[in-house]
Amino acid sequence: MNKSQFLGLLHSHLSVLPPEECNELMEDYEAHFAFALQNGRTEEEVILELGHPEELAREALGNRFIPKEPVYWFGGQEAPTPVRPQVPEVSLRNGFMKSMVYTGLFFVDIIVVPSLLALWSFWICFPIVAFVGIISPVLLGLDYLTDGVFYPAKGYAVIALVGIGILFTIASKSTFKVFKDMSLAFKAWHTRTVKGALRHE
Amino acid sequence: MDINIQFKKGALELCVLVLIHERDRYGYELAQSVSEHIEVAEGALYPLLRRLVVEGYCTTYLQESTGGPPRKYYRLTSAGEIHMKMLVIEWKQFVKSVSTLIEKGTQHS
Repeated sequence: MNKSQFLGLLHSHLSVLPPEECNELMEDYEAHFAFALQNGRTEEEVILELGHPEELAREALGNRFIPKEPVYWFGGQEAPTPVRPQVPEVSLRNGFMKSMVYTGLFFVDIIVVPSLLALWSFWICFPIVAFVGIISPVLLGLDYLTDGVFYPAKGYAVIALVGIGILFTIASKSTFKVFKDMSLAFKAWHTRTVKGALRHE
Repeated sequence: MDINIQFKKGALELCVLVLIHERDRYGYELAQSVSEHIEVAEGALYPLLRRLVVEGYCTTYLQESTGGPPRKYYRLTSAGEIHMKMLVIEWKQFVKSVSTLIEKGTQHS
């Protein structure tokens, strides 16, 4: 078998591939021959090193049907997730519907947003009360330092204040979560409503 | 003999990736470098290289050569580098596991 016989045989096996792919591979093999001959190899040697045309064609055809996901020898690491193609999103609403939705949202917002702000400004009191309650012994100490007189009633009051402070710390934490969830839920609903239902083309 | 071919085919991708990682190489050069270390049907390289390009692990560029066809160089992409590193880890683990197994198995005989 000589070079042209080899390439002819290979071409006939590869012709089931799309012409573009077939040509590209044929070019690769022709270039391989050219470089090898340039380096002083004989056609016979090169053919021997390349392998059987049928085998090579099977390799080329087989490669087309292997899964895109890389297969690794061993478990352990996760294969990288393939990137999903970006799908253009199309809104189902027309201009009039959009403007009506925005008008509706505006009226909802002018009630809800100030209410949420009021709730948050009310919430601020919780940590303030908690903080003052907890540092009240220090304040009592300052009071004693300036006046030089110690009233037992104040001492009892401070003990109660520390207790209240601790309770308010807990209360401010849990109310913070509730208010945060409420605000986030409203924000999410708002975004959803602005976007509207989307159709994937 | 047949099993040996399967081994080599599995390793070929890894070898090629490592060689391209070392520096950009063209097909014939790759065939030479691989044959230096393992006996393999060099022709199998080209379908493999094509697949590596299709899968985004390599890109190609042409460079003129004196008195021959232009050289099609292969360059490893960052995805290809990650893939190569993973294959190397897997390969080492695999070889270690098989060696341990063989050692254990042949100790008793």
